[in-house]
Amino acid sequence: MRYRRPGLDITSHTLLILCVIVFFLPVWMAIVAATHTQSSLYTGTAPLWFGSEGLGNFLAVLSDPVSRLGTDATRLLLNSTIMALGIAVGKITIAILAAYAIVFFRFPMRMLCFWAIFITLMLPVEVRIMPTYKVVADLGMLNSYSGLILPLIASATATFLFRQFYLTVPPELLEAARVDGAGPWRFLRDILLPLSKTNIAALFVIMFLYGWNQYLWPLLITTESDYMTVVISLKRMLTSADNLVPWHTVTATTLLAMLPPIIVIVLMQRYFVKGLVDTEK
Amino acid sequence: MATLRLDGLKKTYPNGFVALHGLDLTIDDGELLVVVGPSGCGKSTLLRMLAGLEDITEGSLYIGEKRVNELEPVERDIAMVFQNYALYPHMSVAGNMEYALKNRGIPKEERRRKVEETARLIGLQDLLDRRPRQLSGGQRQRVAMGRAIVREPQVFLFDEPLSNLDAKLRVQMRLEIRRLQKRLGVTAVYVTHDQVEAMTLADRLIVMNEGRIEQLGTPMTLYEQPASTFVAGFIGSPAMNFLNANADGDTLTLPCGSQLTSPVDVHGDITLGIRPEHLVPVEESPQALTVQVELVEPLGADTLAYATLAGQTEPLVVRFDGVRRLNEGDRLWLAPDRERLHVFDPDHGHRLTTTETSTTS
Repeated sequence: MRYRRPGLDITSHTLLILCVIVFFLPVWMAIVAATHTQSSLYTGTAPLWFGSEGLGNFLAVLSDPVSRLGTDATRLLLNSTIMALGIAVGKITIAILAAYAIVFFRFPMRMLCFWAIFITLMLPVEVRIMPTYKVVADLGMLNSYSGLILPLIASATATFLFRQFYLTVPPELLEAARVDGAGPWRFLRDILLPLSKTNIAALFVIMFLYGWNQYLWPLLITTESDYMTVVISLKRMLTSADNLVPWHTVTATTLLAMLPPIIVIVLMQRYFVKGLVDTEK
Repeated sequence: MATLRLDGLKKTYPNGFVALHGLDLTIDDGELLVVVGPSGCGKSTLLRMLAGLEDITEGSLYIGEKRVNELEPVERDIAMVFQNYALYPHMSVAGNMEYALKNRGIPKEERRRKVEETARLIGLQDLLDRRPRQLSGGQRQRVAMGRAIVREPQVFLFDEPLSNLDAKLRVQMRLEIRRLQKRLGVTAVYVTHDQVEAMTLADRLIVMNEGRIEQLGTPMTLYEQPASTFVAGFIGSPAMNFLNANADGDTLTLPCGSQLTSPVDVHGDITLGIRPEHLVPVEESPQALTVQVELVEPLGADTLAYATLAGQTEPLVVRFDGVRRLNEGDRLWLAPDRERLHVFDPDHGHRLTTTETSTTS
């Protein structure tokens, strides 16, 4: 149902535009600040238009080691990407397999397994951070990609979502596949995965962002700058006891840190739509 | 092509419910056997057991000479057409049809040749690249058939394949299934709850009730000599009329006072079965059943009349020629054909024959 009322149109548009300005202004200021030199940012007024540096600050943080970090933004972005991809891919893989087992196989204590997985929803990283740290430290995985990824890789949410989706798959489809000679792996690969393309795309976006934005865990286990993620580095750059905060570098890094999530969303959104158009339950 | 032999096939579910009570049956090579019955009679369970989708609790199942109880569906060399078709939504028509061949490791060229051959046979050659979603109900049904045919199985299993189609398409597809099955000469088991489908398709017909075979025979045998009131009421449309009557030798007395000549020699209370099409209107006479028309259903070719007969709770259904004009409230005199009366035991519902009753009386 749609209403056509000119007054309502104007009000809602005004409201929306205002919201966009409110949300976009800080981003704009970051973009602007990233094009200035450090000294021009300390003149007392925050600039609202581009400065003299252009893309210079971006290129500088990407190629030269950033002060107080000992590594450049390229490395930071790479670390973040590896961590986010590892978490997203790992979570989806594990969730698909776990949900597949729970829905399509009959084994003893099947429901117990399901509930055990489900209960872990109540235990995010923050709650179990001390024991997890101990385990990871004992396994010698501090300052490593596996240490960054593995503790975050199991996801009850994703398992649950896949389970719900699998339950909607008509049982005749499985039976038809069995009659057609597809074993469990073939059924998963040829029928179930193509059907859950949309779910996989959606979850990938969510899980990639979740991995990218991780703060507490990487902060805890990465002490070497070689494994530092970009989100952590921002905080490090800001904590300066004696020097001025290098705002031009910070904003440039921030903007760079924002890019991959945006790229993922934009790219995967096309898959969403394609998946929605192509498949039919 | 194979014979199918069921030897005391029994199904008990874990909760103790017995779905099938030991079925013995041989289905001949190239035969189309239809299993018909109300929902919950075990007909789908039977089919799924033949397919290997459901475990066999007791008894043996042979396809050809081989006992297949323990075999997976694919190893039994059967093909199944499902009620909702169960097409793979993300695969094209060709993909759906060749999936079984692909799993069997048949090379691509041969797969394509077989799919195209089958597509021509069932008129799908222009639709091979489409997705199931882009097809009409009838076309999907055809793809499901094609998927079964392309594998050249020993046995076809049909699980109510036409019940999702509209009436006109159902008639058309019914003919087509019959023609294809005869042409390919593949043994087939067809499950349905629609007695018209059952009558028209079957070489032989099984009426099932509560996990047992109520009667097995050709469609006309079941129509002409139903073994029980259950079969009599299930086969034929509209259903047979059942009247309470009292028999004394070859004379049947109805509660309304009319007397009919019985085809069998029995004594005592009986259930009399008369098909709607075997009641003939006659001139007024004491032998005839006097009825009053309550409701008229003109169908074009036929006219059905629902009429009340004194002493009977259920209205009597009578089928007239379509040219006959009837009005509600009309009085009619009907004479049933003696040869076409069916006499059943009123308690157990089984058919009474002269030989059987002459020994008891």
